[in-house]
Amino acid sequence: MSTRAETDFALPKRARLHFGDLALRGITGAAALTVLIVLIWIAYKVTQQAWDAISTFGLGFLTSSQWNAVTNQFGARDLIWGTAVTSFFALLFAVPISIAIGLFLSELAPRRLRGPVGALVELLAAIPSVVLGLWGILVMGPFLEQHVEPFLNDHFGWIPLFSGTPSNVGLLPACLVLTIMIVPIVSSICRELFDSVPSDLKAGSLALGSTRWEMMRSVAIPQVSGGIVAAVILGLARAMGEAIAVSQTIGGTARTGWSLFGSADTLASRIANQYQGAATALQTSSIAYLATILLVLSLAANLTAALIVRRIRRRMGATR
Amino acid sequence: MQRFRRSALLVFAAGTVVLAAACGSGGGTTTVTKSSGTPTSSKVLTGAGSTLVYPLVSQWEPDYATKAGVTITYGAIGSGGGIDQITARAVDFGASDAPLSADQATACKGCLQIPWALGATVVTYNVKGVPNNLHLTGPVVADMFLGNITSWDDPKIKALNPGVSLPSTKVTPIYRSDGSGDSFVFSSYLSAVSPEFKSKIGASTQPPFSTGTGAAKNSGVAASVQSTDGAIGYVAISYIAADGLNQALIQNAAGKYVTPSVDSIKAAADAVNTARADGSIPLVNPPASAATAYPLSTYTYAIVPKTSSKASELKAFLTYAITDGQQFGPDLGFPPLPSAVVSSDKTEIASIS
Repeated sequence: MSTRAETDFALPKRARLHFGDLALRGITGAAALTVLIVLIWIAYKVTQQAWDAISTFGLGFLTSSQWNAVTNQFGARDLIWGTAVTSFFALLFAVPISIAIGLFLSELAPRRLRGPVGALVELLAAIPSVVLGLWGILVMGPFLEQHVEPFLNDHFGWIPLFSGTPSNVGLLPACLVLTIMIVPIVSSICRELFDSVPSDLKAGSLALGSTRWEMMRSVAIPQVSGGIVAAVILGLARAMGEAIAVSQTIGGTARTGWSLFGSADTLASRIANQYQGAATALQTSSIAYLATILLVLSLAANLTAALIVRRIRRRMGATR
Repeated sequence: MQRFRRSALLVFAAGTVVLAAACGSGGGTTTVTKSSGTPTSSKVLTGAGSTLVYPLVSQWEPDYATKAGVTITYGAIGSGGGIDQITARAVDFGASDAPLSADQATACKGCLQIPWALGATVVTYNVKGVPNNLHLTGPVVADMFLGNITSWDDPKIKALNPGVSLPSTKVTPIYRSDGSGDSFVFSSYLSAVSPEFKSKIGASTQPPFSTGTGAAKNSGVAASVQSTDGAIGYVAISYIAADGLNQALIQNAAGKYVTPSVDSIKAAADAVNTARADGSIPLVNPPASAATAYPLSTYTYAIVPKTSSKASELKAFLTYAITDGQQFGPDLGFPPLPSAVVSSDKTEIASIS
């Protein structure tokens, strides 16, 4: 990277030794280093806090469904399940919507509408999660309980997902709140991706007689499919890590089961609910263990996204 | 692109203004400073914890500032948070509705727990068509939270409420998903009256309930109960009147169905005078000799370090809280402390150095 920059600008030697430049390099470098140090320090501290629970429960923690402050037995299975289910369904709802928004804003919307609509979608990301959660409890939860869930139960009750009693808190409200939170992120990346598809490719496809839909399906989407995957993974990391809005809407009962109407709990929501006032030292440590798991999952998701983006860059670089 | 940026910025700015306005009225921490004119003393005591005791502390703040010239800053962040803060010595005193657990006491390194106010946890419910003041017993409530009683027209509930028509609505237990003094009182009481509850769940600030749904804080439980037909939950006594919730009358050891009130909590406190070694005084399920006692009463505690750099200020404030400060209690639903507790508190306070 740095060698390329130097050859690009071909700075004279004297300028490179200039004090201001050196100071600038020092300051910016220190800023970059700080991020790295903070990341490592957090990971170290969280793991250190979790060490009691890690040495007590080992990897069995991941498969144990116990979470009992009275008997001092803790396990993360139900919470990992809750995190997986909420993230999966949030993505299932959010990804098609986000791709559609991206296509609309990039290819179909009248020029005049693009700015305001795009801004509104991004504004959705500016709503604090605690406010979304409140809306989830007071407005969306009761609406789902009275209208949506009975309908699903009556007509599709034979599918395990829609079995059980309608409830104003549970997996479904949590999934929908998460959907609202990740749509802005994924859709704005999708829009940028579609904007980046060379217009000569699009024009060529249209000139060959494609309809707009055929052009999108055969040219625009395949061109950026890797980027979309990376956007989805960033959305996933967001969904996994969200604590407050989920804790407000999910019901806080650690449980595994297929019904979307029942309450459950996620890693992040359990941490937010119980990190204060844990009854035993082992519980405090177990909450740190949950944090370690969440940290590992989030880092893995982000790294995967970064790897995919890099592979695409390389491939696109090769075709040019 | 340029236009997009500008409109995005505009919408964002508008949103920020709205949010800033909305946030202006929030916040659980109050700082009371002495009114201008007289030279203000720089003495400050900070505390954090229990939301139950907050209405009382907020009366002490201005009164104590005038009388002693000491500013009390109290953050009503919840009992669990209060214990964490005093353990980290981030505040001068903590406040908790549940006594410290063994691990918490160890972590707090020599903390005293001083009972400084009385309160109660109240069982609340919301069933369409069922009036206020339903009669329940501890074992029946335990069965509802264990999943043994699943509908409101269960014979066990009917037997306690002749003349009340009960629908077949499903019972939905609602409990606190965060660590809570109310959960501790509730689960301690149910453990005392139901062997099955004791063996399957037990007493804790975070009891491992296996049925129902959780909600965060008293306000979350109140909202959840109000929006769920068939709900049964528990909240601190002040939330009953504030949120217009139904209260269940729980049968005490003497066989009476008692309304939670200043008098019935005081009756429970008067019946129990023995403190445990750790300074806590468990009040749940008082003996049958206290005929009018409310069975889910509790002391709420000030948690203070035995050694403090502000020992003299702390001692003076705690003494004020358990004596002069008690006068504000009855109007707010806090019965005055029994004199035996006041004198044992004074001994504890004297040991702070």
